[in-house]
Amino acid sequence: MDSSLKTIRAQREALDAKKISVKELTQEYINNIKARDGEIKSYITVTEEGALAQAETAQKLIDEGKSQPLTGIPMAIKDNICTEGVRTTCASKMLENFIPQYNATVMERLNAQNIVMLGKTSMDEFAMGGSTQTSAFAKTRNPYNTECVPGGSSGGSAAAVAADLCTVSLGSDTGGSIRQPAAFCGVTGIKPTYSRVSRFGLVAFASSFDQIGPIANSAYDCAQVLDCICGFDPHDGTSSREAVPSFGAKIGQPLKGMKLALPKEFFGEGIDDEIRKSVLAAADVYKSLGAELIDCSMPSLKYAVPAYYLISSAEAASNLSRYDGIKYGHRTAEADSYEELIKKSRSEGFGDEVKRRILLGNYALSSGYYDAYYGKAMALRQVIREEYDGLFAKCDAILTPTTPAVAYRPEEQVSDPVKMYQADICTVTVNIAGLPAVSTPCGYNAQGMPIGLSIVGRRFDEQTVIQLADAFEQTFTRISPKLD
Amino acid sequence: MDLEMVKYLAELGKLQFTDEQLEKTAAEMTDIIELMDGVKGFDVEYDAHKDNHNVFLESLRVDEKHDSMPTEKVLANAVNRDGAFVVPKVVE
Repeated sequence: MDSSLKTIRAQREALDAKKISVKELTQEYINNIKARDGEIKSYITVTEEGALAQAETAQKLIDEGKSQPLTGIPMAIKDNICTEGVRTTCASKMLENFIPQYNATVMERLNAQNIVMLGKTSMDEFAMGGSTQTSAFAKTRNPYNTECVPGGSSGGSAAAVAADLCTVSLGSDTGGSIRQPAAFCGVTGIKPTYSRVSRFGLVAFASSFDQIGPIANSAYDCAQVLDCICGFDPHDGTSSREAVPSFGAKIGQPLKGMKLALPKEFFGEGIDDEIRKSVLAAADVYKSLGAELIDCSMPSLKYAVPAYYLISSAEAASNLSRYDGIKYGHRTAEADSYEELIKKSRSEGFGDEVKRRILLGNYALSSGYYDAYYGKAMALRQVIREEYDGLFAKCDAILTPTTPAVAYRPEEQVSDPVKMYQADICTVTVNIAGLPAVSTPCGYNAQGMPIGLSIVGRRFDEQTVIQLADAFEQTFTRISPKLD
Repeated sequence: MDLEMVKYLAELGKLQFTDEQLEKTAAEMTDIIELMDGVKGFDVEYDAHKDNHNVFLESLRVDEKHDSMPTEKVLANAVNRDGAFVVPKVVE
């Protein structure tokens, strides 16, 4: 793919100026998928026929001068977002043959701008994981080194952007599932403020944390998608009525006078040296652009991982109780009783990690353990929120690494649940506090694997994190993965 | 975590494990609970009055009738017969 034509901004200009047709652009991505995705495995379902039909409709609109910002832009959608008539598996045998009868609200909004959907991307089963290796159908690999994981749970969405298998994708982020794979795959991903984007039609994992967001080649492109998908939705009881601004409106504004905080706990023990150096070097770039750097502390960070896993697993155990083998989802071949039908269907349909989360959630909620685990985790959630509020009284944004280590080989970590959970240390507090955060590449380690910088903002202040991410991106030269 | 606790939690979650799976799961859950025990070290109580940041009670939707999803769509992903879900016999 022509490297000058990889972003929404460039494609919009080229499409509207008739330098390329939507069909040509779509076909180029389909060809890339056919050539590369056998190795990368970013897609579970490729919707070639539908994409070409959508391309035709989008072209007509462009020809009539009716294009909108995303008209004709080829996108990939995480496979936990309901797409009417297109299989949505959540990377689980439980939903292997599930065909949604309605669109998620985000899909209605994207379709209203006539995007081209190339397909549904792989993920950790039910979005539970950080490697995309718990996917029942496509264990995605990292385009920078196919022996390594792409991160997760939105690993397919991040790898597809990095490997030029789509222009932009949608992921979902419950504890870092957009930002961590974006960091591992060297692309930009944003988790919006909780309640900004409707969760209607997003297969529920942990309802008080889940948020949909874009993964793209730039912060500008992420802003374009957010402009389309954010806003109040009567179908989601937690959807915010906060006004939706133009998310890219502050891009290019000077950073002079802005205060950026660096909590020391995010730069201490357990953070890889090369990552620490890269993120601190990025902080220096902001200083050179006129921002002031502030040292600060976040003492509750050491409790964040267990607090996150207790609350999210409790919510997951409740949410996943809907899978009974009766209404939809996997149904066991033979069962003599109602009880047996449910137990066998669930036991056959769910993978090991999903089962562990259900057990953990039920443990945290069960009589005799509730106060010690779930109650304590909910108390910590309040403490973490208050610590962030305290930090934001003194700064405009917070800088941290996105991950403690770069992408790894599956055999190094995936089989150890505790190790996998601990790797979420840099991302989970943002979900606990419901804040917006972006991850953008800020360097590469000695082996050439990408490193992510996280920029965390105040509630509903996506504009500032996008402004800051774009300011850094203008100074940074990305190294693309070597693709065949 | 002992096997009895795993069996109890599996029952709550409507899951079945073989004996071999139970042993493996008990070992994994023991390690996981050890990590979760970290929260016990923090001396703070949950205050429900501080919560509900994301529930906007002042803007509940109007209580008015809307069309439901058509029956054929509701049943599209299920084993069904005569416009109903099919389940094993639940009464003698």
